[in-house]
Amino acid sequence: MGLESPFVPYLATLKTAIQLTPDIKLLNVELEDPDIRANFDYKPGQFALLSAFGEGEAPFGIVSLSLQKDGLEFAVRRIGTVTRALQELEPGDTLGVRGPFGNCFPLEDYVRKNIIVIGGGIGMAPLRPVINRILERRNDYKELLIINGARTPQDLVFQPEFPAWMKAPGTKLELTVDRGDEDWKGRVALVPDVVKELAPSPDSAIAIICGPPIMIRFTLARLRDLGFKDNQIVTTLEAKMKCGLGKCARCNLGEKYVCQDGPVFTLEQISQFLEQP
Amino acid sequence: MNLFASKDDLIRWIGELLKEHIVIAPVQVQEQTLFQPISKAEEVVFDFNNTTLSPKGWFLPPTETLFSVQKDDGKVELVPTQVERDAVIFGLHPCDARGIALMDKPFLEEPSDTLYRERRNRTALIGLACRQAQPECFCTSMGSAPDDPSNVDILLTEVEDGYIVQVVTEKGKTLLPKGLAEYKGKVPAPPELKAVPTREVISAMRELFNDPYWEQVADRCLHCNICAYVCPTCYCFDMRDYADKGKVERVRSWESCQSPGFSLTAGGYDPRTTKGERLRQRFYHKLFYFPEQFQDVACVGCGRCVRDCPVNIDIREVISNLQQVTEAKSGS
Repeated sequence: MGLESPFVPYLATLKTAIQLTPDIKLLNVELEDPDIRANFDYKPGQFALLSAFGEGEAPFGIVSLSLQKDGLEFAVRRIGTVTRALQELEPGDTLGVRGPFGNCFPLEDYVRKNIIVIGGGIGMAPLRPVINRILERRNDYKELLIINGARTPQDLVFQPEFPAWMKAPGTKLELTVDRGDEDWKGRVALVPDVVKELAPSPDSAIAIICGPPIMIRFTLARLRDLGFKDNQIVTTLEAKMKCGLGKCARCNLGEKYVCQDGPVFTLEQISQFLEQP
Repeated sequence: MNLFASKDDLIRWIGELLKEHIVIAPVQVQEQTLFQPISKAEEVVFDFNNTTLSPKGWFLPPTETLFSVQKDDGKVELVPTQVERDAVIFGLHPCDARGIALMDKPFLEEPSDTLYRERRNRTALIGLACRQAQPECFCTSMGSAPDDPSNVDILLTEVEDGYIVQVVTEKGKTLLPKGLAEYKGKVPAPPELKAVPTREVISAMRELFNDPYWEQVADRCLHCNICAYVCPTCYCFDMRDYADKGKVERVRSWESCQSPGFSLTAGGYDPRTTKGERLRQRFYHKLFYFPEQFQDVACVGCGRCVRDCPVNIDIREVISNLQQVTEAKSGS
């Protein structure tokens, strides 16, 4: 009799791989077992561990909205051996999936609020399903402001979706880059400075942030300057994760395990951790 | 009811156990006493101080394959590691038995680690009470005692001409050899140990987190990881793939929060970059986070880390120092 080990991934097939930026690919994978596929429900903010067999396993936010609608998508940035191996997979190749793990963005709690989504670089990945869920249920929410920053114009991640985001009612997409190029007519500014310039109102608003730690640190300061309270700021924590089950203790932060208790926390919750990220 | 077994009875009993079980017992390997699978009863060492390593490696091996990846005609199949045989760990001290009981908490909590659970279900524990304490021992401050029967199936206690056999669990009863007589003599008193003020310190730990003490005590830490390696309750692990000649395996291995890079993410972010932060993590996980999560301190007082630390970082001393820091804070 085989053990149902929580460490053994589901087998999946790579369906498509789209190059989104010079170092980020969008992988669409299909779980092989139809029963598992039927029960693999996930929510914006949850993550899964992807296996490139022979290289290892790493955590990735799920960037699609629902299995029924979009299948299962991950934005993988080439940054080490596992991500390189995942990017080198060809459609039809086998990979492993464990998950979904972690909590999610409590978007139901944000109904009738103004939403400000702030993402930097690959930090846009877990925010993409947030944006698409809000657009899918557009009437449930008030204004949606998206501030998306990247190092250069070609590093802006979900460009094929920008037209839809810009066209959506009550929605603004503000793009910014650290360094422009010849064709770039948009902003050249750091994300925290764009937040300061646009000065979104904290009234009945929620700010959802993900990006490099330095961007987050200064963006938080700007949001607080604007009057945002810590319970109005939500982020998803980056942490070293191996098992996804709250056992290996790699993502232990104070009394919390990011893989089980998170990765989504309000700033108010984070400020109460004994150990600060 | 306590029974009595002479040493010859024990040797015969171990011989019987070996027919149906893997028996893991303390054996002498050069200068070390180690828990290892034995092939005959005569290998077992009865008179030993704390073994070099605890027997935790039987349940969470230093390295183990979680599953192997098999490819047949391009079709991938994942084959999980199976537990093949029943086992008995013979001669573990009460502190090490408590270590296993503490490891159960994270590993048996749902979603449970099936490999750990299967090994645990199929392994019996025959403990050996301590007649002597080592200078580094402090189990009585950590919820156990040299004669604590609570985490074993059978407890043996050495007396002048043999061993008292105390059956603790039903599982223990099934392992008993036939024909042991009742023991009617006195049960010897356990050795006395010096107390460490654990409880007082734990209740103050929330306030001690940002104390400069951690950087001071970590100054001399070499992050050699021996403390985690010898600890019966350190359970952090790593998972990696190994590919050799077309054979691919996912391997789990022991890891330690004292290693630089333990919490380093692929993106280059690391919440713990100093030795003080890493050493603090070890003590907080044991004395504060684990108790918050599982209502028990993740230390059994075996003293191995005290014995083996090359720069004499002594958990008893850390606890006493923290008590002094707390008193100084509340006094000022």
